[in-house]
Parts: sequence; structure tokens; C-alpha cells
Amino acid sequence: MLEALLEGLVLVLQWKALAFMLLGILLGFWVGLLPGLGGATTLALMLPFVYTMQPVEAFAFLLGMHSVTATTGDITSVLFGVPGEAASAATVLDGYAMAKKGEAGRALGAALASSLVGALVGAVALAAAIPIVRPLVLTFGSPELFMLSLVGLAFISALSSPGGRGMLRGFLAAALGLFLATIGQDPQAGVARYALGTLYLWQGLDLVPVLVGLFAIPEIIDLVVRGTSIAGAVPAGKISHGAFEGVKDTFRHFWLTIRCSLIGTFIGILPGMGGAVAQWMAYGHATHSARTAEERKGFGRGDVRGVLGPGAANNSKEGGALIPTIAFGVPGSTSMAILLGGFFLLGLVPGPDMLSKHLPVTFSMVWTIVIANVITVIACFALLNKLAQLTTVRGALLIPVILVLVFIGSYTSNNHYGDLVVTLLFGAVGYFMVLAGWPRAPLVLGLVIGKIAENNLYISIARYEGAWLTRPVVLVLIAITLAVIVYPLFQARRRAAARA
Amino acid sequence: MHKNASLALSLLIMIVSGYGVVAATAWPWKAALFPLVIGVPLFALAAAEALWTLFGAEPASEEARDFQLSIGTDTVHRTLVAAGWIFAFFAAIVLIGFPIAVPLFVFLYLKLQGREGWGISIAITLGTWAVFYGLFDLLLHLPFPAGWLLSWSGFSS
Repeated sequence: MLEALLEGLVLVLQWKALAFMLLGILLGFWVGLLPGLGGATTLALMLPFVYTMQPVEAFAFLLGMHSVTATTGDITSVLFGVPGEAASAATVLDGYAMAKKGEAGRALGAALASSLVGALVGAVALAAAIPIVRPLVLTFGSPELFMLSLVGLAFISALSSPGGRGMLRGFLAAALGLFLATIGQDPQAGVARYALGTLYLWQGLDLVPVLVGLFAIPEIIDLVVRGTSIAGAVPAGKISHGAFEGVKDTFRHFWLTIRCSLIGTFIGILPGMGGAVAQWMAYGHATHSARTAEERKGFGRGDVRGVLGPGAANNSKEGGALIPTIAFGVPGSTSMAILLGGFFLLGLVPGPDMLSKHLPVTFSMVWTIVIANVITVIACFALLNKLAQLTTVRGALLIPVILVLVFIGSYTSNNHYGDLVVTLLFGAVGYFMVLAGWPRAPLVLGLVIGKIAENNLYISIARYEGAWLTRPVVLVLIAITLAVIVYPLFQARRRAAARA
Repeated sequence: MHKNASLALSLLIMIVSGYGVVAATAWPWKAALFPLVIGVPLFALAAAEALWTLFGAEPASEEARDFQLSIGTDTVHRTLVAAGWIFAFFAAIVLIGFPIAVPLFVFLYLKLQGREGWGISIAITLGTWAVFYGLFDLLLHLPFPAGWLLSWSGFSS
């Protein structure tokens, strides 16, 4: 095993593989920065180029590119409030709020350092999980996956707003997200649900135009209303010296970063969940880690823990997602499905051979994730404080450029004007939600998780009828869901009694 | 303002979920299961929020863990101006296509809304257009249609 691990490292460090990895990192860096152009799209675009490469070179190129998109996606989320990737949207909540307080450098430092920790945890998990992953994945059938979706939704709904009224709004937003996920052709009967007679809606709502509208439009309107730069009246000197503070934050909240990395890895392992789910679950956990109600109030208004959690999770999920892809040929996400195509193009068959005959190639993937992230983070740190200065540029100069990115980003998801309409509609919904004091995070998680939850609920009922509710892991997950809902209410009542 | 926005959102969700539930009853159970399982509680939650907004007390401390919109002297006017620019850009894209709408919007926004000088307006417009054309058109070959007006008038090939 150790021999194969070292052999994997030697393979990656060969000049040709290293050169392809650097090329991949360079492409992934810019793709991550551009809103709308996702890592999965770029993987698909680059797949034809790996035909002539050796397996190690091809995976160094593809994985090197893919593993940095989530890292650099955080940069636009923090600086402009526009998610660079669907998997970077949770970073907007606290990262952009920090940028507005003049702490863009610190937020970027925290996002990048936690991304690195997350990537390392994911890679270690991938290496360690190779012999033990099979029983873990087989424990989770459709009933357990459905209940896991509910646990995640309960976490984020119960914690995204304080008090009973806040919880009602959280669950209302989550249910709205789940309901919106039912738009489009249903996978079981083929009925076009709520398609309003348009072909565009048959495939359902695309996540990128929804996220860009929901998060970017309210922030842009607010920037116009304020009439200042993003960082407002904060002195420029303070802004350009915060990156190292963000690194220190990662180590101040090291166990939170590790826990969120593990959440990301676990979600990555589960088929169909993906990075967008992982970061919101991690955000929910980060919120939950606040001990007091006062502390929790800071979330969404620039608490660095709200950056660390999603930052760690959306990078650690890569290692996790590779586990079922390599071990069983079951891709955990769209990107992994495309990567699986790369396996077949190169004549590799995922499964037992990858854990025996081709073990050094498998370990070369682990090393690629590690090395690509280390290089990206080091490269980004050289630019961070300069990037943070962008938040001092006058709003009037930034707004048209950001709006161009917003509209191109959403349009390139499907190359359809419908994407722009969806962006505008969800921009309005996002604005009114912020105005009304409703949380946006549960809506996004509901929308992301809706299709997965529906499939798993249908399979559970069709396969087990009512008996799926009595499976042991399901019962444990139901208990956790109830505890997540009841505990904050119990806490609030206890505080009220103590005040009286 | 908060109260009105919350009430409007709740009522909108009640209408949407009500329609969703009624429409789902006509589908086979496989297709209707999830919309009904979610639609009914969604309607109930929205109704509860609407009733709470109308008849309950508004607790000051129960804001979402999210950013707060800035409030100034002419917030409504500035919000409408921002929304107007966003909608105008969208309309320009649909009517004359991205390749013309992008530089036109950037330049007009900088000159009319930002009141920037000619030099900086032209420089930023050219820079944005160069990135748009170089990256999305030349390098990635993404298809950007000419826009309805140009297609209809026959100016585009």
C-alpha cells in the first residue's frame, strides 16, 4: 500500500504529468472565477483532449482543473456576491458580508486556507477509505438517502433564522425550494410538471441562473442604493492586509474546518448529492457550532465561520466523490460521471482493478488533488490582497461589469433566453426575501436536493411501501431531524423563562 | 416594508402552491406524489406566515441570518433605478443580442448613471467587450444569437 502511495506521487511528479496538471490548474482557475461556467462543463469540454494522454497525465490534467474550480469560485462569491460556481453560493452569505465590512482579504484568506484543509482531508479520506468504503456505501439505500436529505434541510431551516417565527420562515423557504425542484419532466411517469407549455422548463430549473439571480441581483441593487464601493467607507489600508488573518481564523476554528471537511467528504461519497449540497450542510453545521443566540446572529452578516465551513466542504467533497467512482464505477456527481467517461476513454475500468492492478494510478489521483490545491492556494495568496482592493473600486465602475458577468454566466448554462428570465425572476424573489427577512439558504438547499429527495422517496415507497420508515438508520435519522427542530425551540423557551 | 414584503411573498406562495396541488391531482400518482407531499405543507406554512404577519406581533430580533438591505433617504427611487437598468440590459440582450448589448450597456451605464468621464467609460467598455469577445466568442465559441430585432430586420446573417 505504502509502495503504491509513493509510486503514485512519483507518477504525478513526472514532468509531463506535472505540466498537464499546471495547464489544468490554469484553466480551472479562470473557469472558477467566471460565474456560470461550471467545473462539470469544462471537464466535458476538455475530455476529448485526453485521448492521446497516458492515464496519469490525463487525470492530472482533468482532476487538477476540476479540483481548483471550487477554490477560485469562492473568490467572486466573496468579492462581488456573485457565486463563481453553484458549489460556492453558500460562501456569498458571510464572505460578501465581510467584504462589505472591509474584510475581503480576511474572507478570501479564510476561504482559501479552509479550501486547502478541505482538499487535504478529502484526499486523505480517499486514500484511507479505499479498503473500507464498500460496507459504508452499501448501508445507505434510498430510504436512508431520503432521510439524510431531510436532516440537511432541517438543519439549515431551523438554524437560518432565530426563534419560532424564524423557523417557520426557514421551513417555508425550504419547502418552496423542494416544490420548485418538481418543475420539469418527472422521472417516473414522464409528465411535464408546471412547464407552462414551454420546452425550456421540461428539464426543470437550472441551478446556475437561479443562484445568480437569488444572490447577485439583490446585492447589485443594494450596491446601487448605497452608491459607494463594496467596502463602503472602510480605509483601503485595512482591506489590503487581511489575508493572513483569514489563515489564522482557519486554525482558530480548526476543528470546525475539519468537521465541515468530513461533512463534505461524506456527502461527496453519497451518490447524487454533490458539492452544492455539501456546502449548505456544512454552513448549517457552522451555524449550529455557535454556542449562543448572540453568536448566531453574526451569521449572514460577516462571521468568518460561515466562510470556513462551506470553503472546506466544497473542496473535501472531491476526494469523497472519487471513492464510489473509482471503487464501484458509481459517480457521486455530474463531474464524476464525466470523469468516469475519461476512465473508459483511457481503457481503465473502475472497480476492483483500480484498487489492485492500477492502485498507483488511483493514488496518483489522491496526489493530484493535494498538489493542485497547494499550488492554487499559494498562487492565490500572492494575489489576494490585490484582489481584495477591488472592493474599494467605485460601485458605478463595478456594477456594469458585474451585471455583464451575471447575465453571461446565467445565459451560458443552457444558451437560452429562458435562463435570463429565470435570473430576473429569482432576482426579484431574492430581493423580496431579503426585504422580508426570510432566509435564502433553505430555498437553495431545497432546490438542490429536491430531485434527489423525490427519486429516493419514490424508490423507498415503491420498494418497501411503509416499511422503509422502520429501518434502523432511518429511525436514527428521524430522531436527529426531530432533535434539530425541537432543540432550538426548547432552548428559546428556556432563555425566555430565565429572562422572566 | 418588511411586513408588506412578507405578506406579498406568503400570498404569492399560497397561490403558486394551491395551483400546484390542484394541477397535481390530475397526474398519475408517480408524478403527483412529491408535488402533493410538498405542496400541501407549503400552502399551510405560507398561510401560517400570512396569518402571523397580519395578526401576530412582529418580533424585532427574528431577522434571517442574511445580509440587510441598506436604507437611505431615497431608497425606493434608487431601487427602482437599479431595477430599471437591470431590466433595460435584459431587454437590450433579447432585442439586439449580447455582442451589441454588452458594450452599449456598459458605456451607457458608466456615462449616464455613473457620470464617469469619456476616457474611463470608453476604456472600461472596450476592456469588457474584449474579454467578452475574446473569451466567450473566439476561445469558447459559445453561440450568442443576434437578438430578435436584428434577426427580424434581416441585419444579422
